[in-house]
Amino acid sequence: MRLFKNGSIAREDSAELQKADLLVNDEGVIVEVAPGIATSDGTEETDCSGCVLVPGMFDLNVHAREPGFEHKETLKTCAEAAINGGVTGIVLMPDTDPPVDSGNLVKSLQDLVSEVSPIAMLPAGCLTKGREGKEFAGFSGMANRGVAMLTDSDHAILCPDLLRHCMEYAKDFDLLVTTHGDTPALTKAGSINEGKVSYRLGLPGIPAISQEVAIDRDIRVAQHTGARLHLQQISTANGVQSIACAKEAGTRVSCEVSPHHLLLTEEDITDYNTHFKLDPPLRGQEDADALLQGLLDGIIDAIASNHAPHTDFEKSADFASAPFGVTGLETTVLALYDRFIRKNVFGWDLLIRKYSSAPRQIIGLDPIAITEGSKAEFFVFDPTSETLVDRDYLKTASPVTPFLGKTLSGAIRETVV
Amino acid sequence: MSDTSNITTEEILTPEGIEETIAVLAAKIEDRCGEENLAFVGIYTRGVTLARRVAEVLASRGKTYPVGTLDISLYRDDFDNRGSDLPTLNSSDVPFELDGTRVILFDEVIFTGRTIRAALDALSDYGRPSKIELAVLMDRGHREIPVQPDYIGKSVETELHQYVKVRFREDDDKEGVFLVTKK
Amino acid sequence: MSELKPRKDLLDIESLSLEEIEYIFENAAPFKQLFQRSVKKVPTLRGKTVLNLFYEPSTRTSSSFEVAANRLSADVTNFAVSSSSIVKGESLLDTIETLQAMRSDYIVIRHQAAGVPGIVAKHTRASVLNAGDGYHAHPTQALLDSMTFREVYPDYRGRKVVIVGDILHSRVARSTSTLFNKLGIEVGVLGPGSLVPDGRHDFMTRLHSWDDVFDWGPDAVYLLRVQMERQEGQFFPSISEYHKMYGMHSERIEKMRQLGAYLMHPGPVNRGVEITDEAMSYEKSLISTQVENGIAIRMAVLHWLKPETNKD
Repeated sequence: MRLFKNGSIAREDSAELQKADLLVNDEGVIVEVAPGIATSDGTEETDCSGCVLVPGMFDLNVHAREPGFEHKETLKTCAEAAINGGVTGIVLMPDTDPPVDSGNLVKSLQDLVSEVSPIAMLPAGCLTKGREGKEFAGFSGMANRGVAMLTDSDHAILCPDLLRHCMEYAKDFDLLVTTHGDTPALTKAGSINEGKVSYRLGLPGIPAISQEVAIDRDIRVAQHTGARLHLQQISTANGVQSIACAKEAGTRVSCEVSPHHLLLTEEDITDYNTHFKLDPPLRGQEDADALLQGLLDGIIDAIASNHAPHTDFEKSADFASAPFGVTGLETTVLALYDRFIRKNVFGWDLLIRKYSSAPRQIIGLDPIAITEGSKAEFFVFDPTSETLVDRDYLKTASPVTPFLGKTLSGAIRETVV
Repeated sequence: MSDTSNITTEEILTPEGIEETIAVLAAKIEDRCGEENLAFVGIYTRGVTLARRVAEVLASRGKTYPVGTLDISLYRDDFDNRGSDLPTLNSSDVPFELDGTRVILFDEVIFTGRTIRAALDALSDYGRPSKIELAVLMDRGHREIPVQPDYIGKSVETELHQYVKVRFREDDDKEGVFLVTKK
Repeated sequence: MSELKPRKDLLDIESLSLEEIEYIFENAAPFKQLFQRSVKKVPTLRGKTVLNLFYEPSTRTSSSFEVAANRLSADVTNFAVSSSSIVKGESLLDTIETLQAMRSDYIVIRHQAAGVPGIVAKHTRASVLNAGDGYHAHPTQALLDSMTFREVYPDYRGRKVVIVGDILHSRVARSTSTLFNKLGIEVGVLGPGSLVPDGRHDFMTRLHSWDDVFDWGPDAVYLLRVQMERQEGQFFPSISEYHKMYGMHSERIEKMRQLGAYLMHPGPVNRGVEITDEAMSYEKSLISTQVENGIAIRMAVLHWLKPETNKD
């Protein structure tokens, strides 16, 4: 038995924290939630004075790199990173080697996960075979294995006809079609948002329309086919606007934003630091403001980190050549607390809604909460402490993050799962 | 005599003394150089002033010689030990033919002789004088290379921890030659 | 003696203070004077090693640096790395280790990726001179351009220069305009809409036609080379159309003559594209002066930078 004393419990339906103790039995079930629970022999007590108990987070967009790229990350190190960051469930992007485009590959991955991970790591499957954008992947096989969603991840579907047919076919399996909006012919060799910063740094730019045009197209096709669509990594004000219109028209569309696009802009990219090279790229302040507002207004359903580890060596290349992506599992809660929750821009309730409940609901799972009878799946957050984001703190195999070396307010003391 | 804690300054030549010494230098040069094809080249910064003043004295006696200037910073042998100071280069100007000309180099003080060695290198990149001689206002000894002046205004015995500072009104805010001792 | 502290590297114009810029100009003049002597060399950098690392082909800039280094009596080695032999990212760190082991004092580097000279500078003790990185910067070009303009216009403050051509892809446009702006010279830009980006420097006044330009009244017209080899995708219909719309030909040269405006170009010139043969013989062309000043500026920069190769 474990007793968590004197903590405050965060919930998604109220900004108020509930001061109460928590008793968890040896099977990992919460048996009592009440103030002043009496201690008894054999109960391990954990003093949570000043701390907040938060339901475990769920990240819809994680690249665990296994199989195929284990030098960057493995399922095991990814799970450790997730737990370190208060995340108790993730969706695995299928851009592995081999890419997960059949039921058998989904099963192999599920088996691997169960061997090494104490948390849920749910495979997504590819939309097209090999993510090549030419032929369907094995939809029914993957559906039978309970694949979380279908996506080619950061390979945009170039052929609108194929996208249409994938959506129409996926409907019968009630599979979620997820796209990462990008127009390669506009992106070209770009490595940074096209604008003043790209001009100053002399780097080829990625215009905002590259994502916006793709999102608009995907929305229209989804509207036409009636399929469920999830849009990954929204990054521009215009994108938020398109989604708002689509939702108003009743389209079955959901979307996610990364913490980095809420917290950082292109102006933060100084001195060609590749720890700020993301796909989609960091945009302008107006975009970051619109994304935050979209999150608060409910247009943006979820926060998803797009955790994308790359080795130090890969990231040591020049900005244009270095791969896109940074890790996010271990910095999302901390960074959002540091910038927004601590300053009352929004509360724990919104974070739970956007980074725990809604992500689960989007892929058809029930949200979790800290209530009597529920499985114990939460983390203990100490707002009075600080976390230095360095190689000692980070459990990911590839410590690449824009917050490297920074001290963020708050600390995750423990994740119970 | 002035005293600032452990630095003492002694005036060893007054402005009048400088004028006299320059007159002596000019006389020596006139003596030994006769009607030759002669040119003066002053080493930046105060060597230039010295050369011009000597030329002025001789001009007042009807003997006019051209004066060129030489910046030797690009020829110094201590490039790696520049320290944190950044020297400003001056333009060298040797507006006359050197070949077949007898050149007198001018510097206000000769000490180790290294500056003169650099000046000889620099001068030879401009041409090939028939003869090169050296005139200095002050010789303070302690040569590190075998270079000796042909015309000396005044010799003074010094210790290595002392400095001979020549001040000309054209370059500085005062006039005089000072012996500075740092303890 | 100035109060300036020495620098190890020259990577861009933004990081230079006006004081440093004036210092370089002041020292370039004596170096330029040396060119009139029969012995154009000075022994200043004798025994020092200069490595020319050119990942992009350029005979003009690399030979200018080579001449500058030679005139300072330095030992010059040319590393011409063809771009096909570069595997993205991997070779760079390996190359840097090799460079470190060679203990070069100066590395002059031109690379197609912005930011590479900065990476090399961080990892070597040699002084790194950026000879052009991607679209980003070409600081010695900016310095020689400004030196040239100031020689013909000692009252340069408040005067105007229009830069014509591919503003989007040109590191020369970025660096030279930045320096002109720092010095108080007004900058205008003219070019096809697809090559004049919205994200350009705020101080670049957008001009839309040659009529606009001549009404604006520039003191110099700076023609950029049209970078056919660097363009991915089409930005304008054809070379002949570019030449008609934006090229310098006799009619426009006549207007220049009336204004008394000078002509500048970083070279090499694409005859028939940005300029006609007749226009090349315009009497107020500063193009060859730019080349001459380029060597003086590069000598002044090599003289000014302080490598850390002697430290351990």
